[in-house]
Amino acid sequence: MRTWKNGILLPFLLVLLWYIISKLQIFSSYLLPSPAATAITAGELIRSGMLWQHLLISLQRVAGGFLCSVVVALPLGILCGRSNSFQSYCWPILEFLRHVPPLAAIPLIILWFGIDEGSKLVIIFLASFFPLFLNTYSGIKGCDRKLLEVGRSLHFTAWQQARLIQLPAALPAIAVGLQLSLGYSWRALIGAELIAASSGIGYMILDAEQMSRPDIVLVGLFAIGIVGSLIDWLFLALTNKILPWNTETGDKYAA
Amino acid sequence: MLLNITALTKTYTISGKLIIALNTVDLTFSENSFTCIVGKSGCGKTTLLRLLSGLEPATSGTIDYGKAAKIGFVFQEPRLMPWLTVNANIAFAAKNDPSLPAAPDEKLLELLGLKAFQHSFPAQLSGGMAQRTALGRTLFQNPDLILMDEPFSALDYFTRRSLQQMLLNLFQQQKKSVIFVTHDVEEALLLGQRILVMQEGRIKIDQRIDMEYPRQQASLSFQQLRLQILSAIEN
Repeated sequence: MRTWKNGILLPFLLVLLWYIISKLQIFSSYLLPSPAATAITAGELIRSGMLWQHLLISLQRVAGGFLCSVVVALPLGILCGRSNSFQSYCWPILEFLRHVPPLAAIPLIILWFGIDEGSKLVIIFLASFFPLFLNTYSGIKGCDRKLLEVGRSLHFTAWQQARLIQLPAALPAIAVGLQLSLGYSWRALIGAELIAASSGIGYMILDAEQMSRPDIVLVGLFAIGIVGSLIDWLFLALTNKILPWNTETGDKYAA
Repeated sequence: MLLNITALTKTYTISGKLIIALNTVDLTFSENSFTCIVGKSGCGKTTLLRLLSGLEPATSGTIDYGKAAKIGFVFQEPRLMPWLTVNANIAFAAKNDPSLPAAPDEKLLELLGLKAFQHSFPAQLSGGMAQRTALGRTLFQNPDLILMDEPFSALDYFTRRSLQQMLLNLFQQQKKSVIFVTHDVEEALLLGQRILVMQEGRIKIDQRIDMEYPRQQASLSFQQLRLQILSAIEN
């Protein structure tokens, strides 16, 4: 409760500063709209349904791309963590791909997949694959040898070792991977929408810029930040519920 | 005869150097016996225990598991699964043995003093409670032989004493056999009917202890035995 109250202070001061600057008319209102004007625009965008429409489309894209990445990265991470020979085949190519930011590949992705949903899905997939894959891999690989020995003393089979010890032991790391992946998806999507899209919250911002509506740009920025935090918060609440013993998620930041 | 080992040998190669951890050891353990193995660190006592449990293969020699069909192992650390409650940790062996119940019964929980904590996670337990849970996990399998590798060495004095007492009660009531590795001669004398002193991979002394339980640490015979075994370890 106290940290929540503390956290409110800085945003409040920033808005106050914003209000003072716009009141003194240091910048033209074409460059910096007042907080009140921005709030009114937000109200309009919400009432007309435009904000929801763009947000919903963006969220659908994130959900689709993120799901694809879960389906591929999770099993691949587990396999690489379990099997050294499988890992030796995959590692060089994965290591290479890891260093190529998906945004750098956008021209090619648009060329191949068009400017429709396909390219968005691919960009989100590429952005969210590695945090999930690498965290899953290290969670499986880093399983405490001593716990595995307990399984051996109980004569567990290799399958039981994997299912009853290695996988549950890796769940906190996998949860961190999922959390990071979601954040990466969201940011990559906005990037993709800024470059080529005809809908979505990123497109809304770009469109507003071209129509010289900084108030809409600001509303878009707020929406992105709020929705991103909300997704993260929901995900954390969910993992704390599912993994009650877990102490690993929560305060991990990686950008 | 519970268990018989013949010419058991274990060697390792560490950075090109051959290390003989266990050197042609012959031993027989009888049913319903409590054996303590003591010795300096590196004498081969833990290696012997790990070979008996099957956690490591022997280099040569044989182990004949006569009456010891089912063997339980208690490690130095509790090694509990952090994602399982006390109950689920104790019943972990049931995952691989359909003859065992899905959860520990009240009697076992009461014996371990864990009834109030059966739904807690390992992170919420004290060191003593965690080690009692680990002991419970082994007892739950209903083993013929329990192998224990310095199970109480990380605990404080009072917790250690109460767990030693609990183990003795168990041994006397349930007629189980125990092989107990420790570096603490007092602990070995409090618990063991037989004490094996190991040195450089061999059994140096094989001593029967006929004192009644509970044993009096202050008694003359206890102290004499203690000095005798300590000097055997030192030299």
